[in-house]
Amino acid sequence: MAVPNEDADLVRSAIAGDDEAFTELVRRHKGTVLRSAARFARNPAELEDLGQETFLRVYRDLRSFRGDAPFGHWLSRITVHVCYDALRKRRREEKDVSLEVLAAPVADPSTENGPSAQLARIILDRAMSRLKPEDRLVITLFELEDRSVREVAELTGWSETRVKVRAFRARQALKRYIGGDDER
Amino acid sequence: MNDKRHDRRDVELDRFFALARKASPDISGVERNFETRVMARIREGREPWYAWAWRLAPIFLALTILLTGWSIFFSPLHPADPVTTLVSGTQEVALLDNLTGE
Repeated sequence: MAVPNEDADLVRSAIAGDDEAFTELVRRHKGTVLRSAARFARNPAELEDLGQETFLRVYRDLRSFRGDAPFGHWLSRITVHVCYDALRKRRREEKDVSLEVLAAPVADPSTENGPSAQLARIILDRAMSRLKPEDRLVITLFELEDRSVREVAELTGWSETRVKVRAFRARQALKRYIGGDDER
Repeated sequence: MNDKRHDRRDVELDRFFALARKASPDISGVERNFETRVMARIREGREPWYAWAWRLAPIFLALTILLTGWSIFFSPLHPADPVTTLVSGTQEVALLDNLTGE
């Protein structure tokens, strides 16, 4: 059976019960979903869970895809919501993570070349794990995925004002955490 | 963002973000055959209830074997020998008569 070219056609076929069409949708979009979810996952197992949960929701809600916007946009919104749910779930367990050990060498002004990209990511992950889930979501989309306030608002379903406020609060908190001023 | 204050810490934080953006996470391991695993989960969710009954069959079988073994080893299959029962009963009666002086 020939696989349709357009995402919208694949969606229609998948709704009609064509598993091969849905497989093709997953194959096409898995990279985008996994790269986005990887900003929130702590390890490959969690990334796998986030990715699978996203596509399971997509499959479940396929009929609600109206087709007035590209499938990729709709999929991004679902990915963001799945990641946000995961952040809320694990909020409690990450609350007491200590930053001092990792932050110390980076905060040291004598460090000549500064932290490597990988180390910066680890430290940011640690610092961001102390943010409220909504702050973390916004700052990740805004700063790490380089999205505009409007895009973040569309993806999260929140107002632009709320997004700006969240981003501002997140930055203030991150500056405190990374600067080592946080006394909590 | 207009609200950004460009003090030293903002610069430092922006440097962190810039570096972290460069460190694209490695997704290759998870990406491999990902669609196959997703489709397996979807098919699993579609299974009718009796599919689960078949999966539970080995547990029921093990339970049956266990119960059968237990009943063989811990409960007598055959009633006691009637002569032994009679003799044992007679002895008890004789002992009772002796004790009560009848």
